[in-house]
Amino acid sequence: MTFTFPHFGSLTYVFEILLRELGRNDLLLPKKPSKKTSELGSRYSPEFVCTPFKLTLGTFIEMLDMGADELGIGGGNMYCRFGLYWPVQRLILEDLGYDFKYSPIPIYDKPLNIVKSLQAISNDLTVWEAIQALRTTWIKTRHIELVDKFHFKYRTLELEKGLADRLADETHRKIVEIEKLGELRKYSKKLPKLFANNIETDKEKEKDAIRIGVCGEIYVALEPALNLDVHRKLNELGVITKNCVSLGMLIDFGRKINPFKTLPYKKARKVAKPYIGQRCGGEAQENIGDIILYKRKKWEGLVHLYPFTCMPEIITRSIAPQVSKEYEMPFLSLVVDEHTAEAGFQTRLEAFVDLLRRKKQKIASS
Amino acid sequence: MKKKVGIPRALLYYKYEAMWTTFFEELGAEVIISPETNKTIKDLAVRFAPDEDCYSTKLFFGHFLYLKDEVDFFFIPRFGSNHEDNVGCPKFLGLAQVLNSLYPDFPEIIMPYYSKAKANHGKRRLLRLILEIGFKFTWNPLRILRAGKRAFKAQVEYEEQLYISEKHLKEWIKSQIVLNEKPNLENRNKPLKVALVGHRYVLNDDLSSLDIQENLAQKGVDIITSFQMPRCTIENQMNKLDYNLYFTDAREILGTITYFLENNTIDGILQLAVFSCGLDSITLELAARYSRRQPETPLLQLVIDELTSEVGFGTRIEAFLDMIDRRELK
Repeated sequence: MTFTFPHFGSLTYVFEILLRELGRNDLLLPKKPSKKTSELGSRYSPEFVCTPFKLTLGTFIEMLDMGADELGIGGGNMYCRFGLYWPVQRLILEDLGYDFKYSPIPIYDKPLNIVKSLQAISNDLTVWEAIQALRTTWIKTRHIELVDKFHFKYRTLELEKGLADRLADETHRKIVEIEKLGELRKYSKKLPKLFANNIETDKEKEKDAIRIGVCGEIYVALEPALNLDVHRKLNELGVITKNCVSLGMLIDFGRKINPFKTLPYKKARKVAKPYIGQRCGGEAQENIGDIILYKRKKWEGLVHLYPFTCMPEIITRSIAPQVSKEYEMPFLSLVVDEHTAEAGFQTRLEAFVDLLRRKKQKIASS
Repeated sequence: MKKKVGIPRALLYYKYEAMWTTFFEELGAEVIISPETNKTIKDLAVRFAPDEDCYSTKLFFGHFLYLKDEVDFFFIPRFGSNHEDNVGCPKFLGLAQVLNSLYPDFPEIIMPYYSKAKANHGKRRLLRLILEIGFKFTWNPLRILRAGKRAFKAQVEYEEQLYISEKHLKEWIKSQIVLNEKPNLENRNKPLKVALVGHRYVLNDDLSSLDIQENLAQKGVDIITSFQMPRCTIENQMNKLDYNLYFTDAREILGTITYFLENNTIDGILQLAVFSCGLDSITLELAARYSRRQPETPLLQLVIDELTSEVGFGTRIEAFLDMIDRRELK
C-alpha cells in the first residue's frame, strides 16, 4: 500500500512526521495543489459543498494517478461536515474507477479512540508505541508552528527576497528529520538566533510594520493554495502575520492536560463566551475570542478566512462585526472558493492594510 | 397581564412545536407563533438575513423580524442534539446569539443551551433549564415542574402520532391505508406511490416547498414523507452503512432514500433540498450515487431557494411523474 494524505500548508510536515513515526515508510507525499487540482476537484464534487472538499478530492485524484492507494483523512463526529468527506469522496472515486482504501482518523474524539485508530493504520505498532508516535508528533508540531511564526515575520523584514522562504523550508525539513526529542529541544533553542543571524532585516520597516492575525477555518487559513497565499500577500505589503489557529488545539494533549499552561484556544473560548456561548463546530468560538485577545495584545487587525458555504464560520461572520465594533478591532472577513479572483482578493487586502496604516499614523501623531 | 412569548415558525419549531407551546401555555404565558410563511415574511427574510445562510435560515430571520413588535420574549433554543453522537445543524446552535448580537434592542431572547452530544448534557441540565425559564413567568416551582412534565408528554404523544409503525409502513406500501391527503384520482385509475424526502421545516412550510404536498395529491400521487418513517427502519438503514452519518436530519433523509432504493416497492422518490444547506450538499451526493448503484426506483432531486420559480418547479415534477407512468406502460 502507498499512503497519501491531503496537502495542508506547513502542517503537511506534521502529517509526514506522524506517519513516519507510525512506521509507514510507503509514503507518497502530496504535491502542492495547483489550479488544475482545484478544477479537477470541483468537476466531480457536489454543487454547494465547501471548498476544502473540492481541493482534497482534487489532490486525491492526482495522487491516485501517481500510484497511491491508501488515503488518510480526518473523520469522526463533529458539528461540521468535514467528518463526512470520506464517505462521499469514496463513492465519487469508486465511480471514477479507482482502486483504493480510505483510512479515516477521528479528530475531536476521546484521546484513546484517536490512538486506537492511529494504531490501526500503523505498521504493527502497540498501543504504547502509537501513543509515543502521537507524542513526538505534537511536540514537533509546536516547533513547526514556531518556524512558521518566524517565517511570516522575517519574510516581511528581509532585505534579500526569498531568504526567509528558503530558511523556513530547511528548518521544517530538519525538524522532520531529527530523531531524538532531546536534540530537537536543543535545535529549537537555536531557532530565533538562526533566523536573526541568517536574515538581514530592514530596521526602518520593523518600526512601522503592522501586525495582523490570520484566523478562520483551519484548512483555509493554513493552506496557501486555497487562501491564495494570504500570508505572502500580506508580508509583501509590509505586514507581520501570524496564524491564530493551530493544530495544537486538536492534537497537543501534552499542553492540554498541563495545568500550568493555557493554550491560546482555551483563552479565546473563554473570552468569547458572552458572544457565542458554546462550541458550534469549526473555529467559530475561537475566532470570536481571537478578536478580543489580539486587541489586548495590541495587534492592529485580523483577517478572517472561510470557505464558501462553511456552516460554522457563517455564524462567526454574522457575530464578528458587532464584536469588532465593540472592541474597536478592525476585522476583515473574506470568503474563499475556487472562483476567488487573485486581483480582487489582493485589492481588498491592500485596502485593509492601508486603512490600518492610516489608523496607526493617526494614533502616532496625536 | 400575560407575558407574551414569540416563537418563529421555522426550523426547529416544526420538530418541537408540541413541547414548546405546551410548556409556555402551562406556565401561563401567551404563546405567539408567527403565521405560516407569507410574502411579507419572505421579503423581510431576503432583505435582512445574511446572504450566505441557507434559505430556511433566511426565512427564520423573516419570522423573527415579523414578530418583534408583538412579543415580550423570544424563545430560540440553542439545541445541539438529543443523542450521544449525532448532532443537529451547527446553525441551530449559533442562531440565537447571532440574532442577539445583530439586534440587541429587540425583546429578550430565551436561549437555553442543550446538547447531549459533545457537551454531554443530561437530565439535570434539562431540569435546570426548565426551572430557569420557568421563573421568568411564575414563582411557583411546582407549576414549572408540572409544565415541564406535560410538555414532554405532549411531545411524546405528538411523535407517537407522527411516526408510523413498521406495520403501517407495510400497509401503506400495499395501498391499504393513506397517510397524508387523499390523492385526487381524476386522471388516473391507481395512485402513484412516491416518497417525499427532505427537512421537515421545508416540507411542512408551504411557501418554501411551493405547496408540494398539496400539488402531488392533486396530481394523483399518494405520498409518504421522510419524517413519518418509522424510526427503527431509519436506524436499521443507518446501521448498514460502514460510517456514522452524524447529522440527525441527514440520517432521516438518507435512511428513507436507501430504504426505498433497496426495497423497490414504490414508484419514485422525490428529494427536496435547500440551497447552500450543509447537510443537503452531502445527502444529495450520497443519494445520487446510491441511486446509481440501485437504479430500479427513480429518484428526482430538486434544490430550492428564494428564486425558485413555481412554473419551472412544477414542470420538473410533471416530467418526473410522466416518466414513471411511461415506465409502467413498458
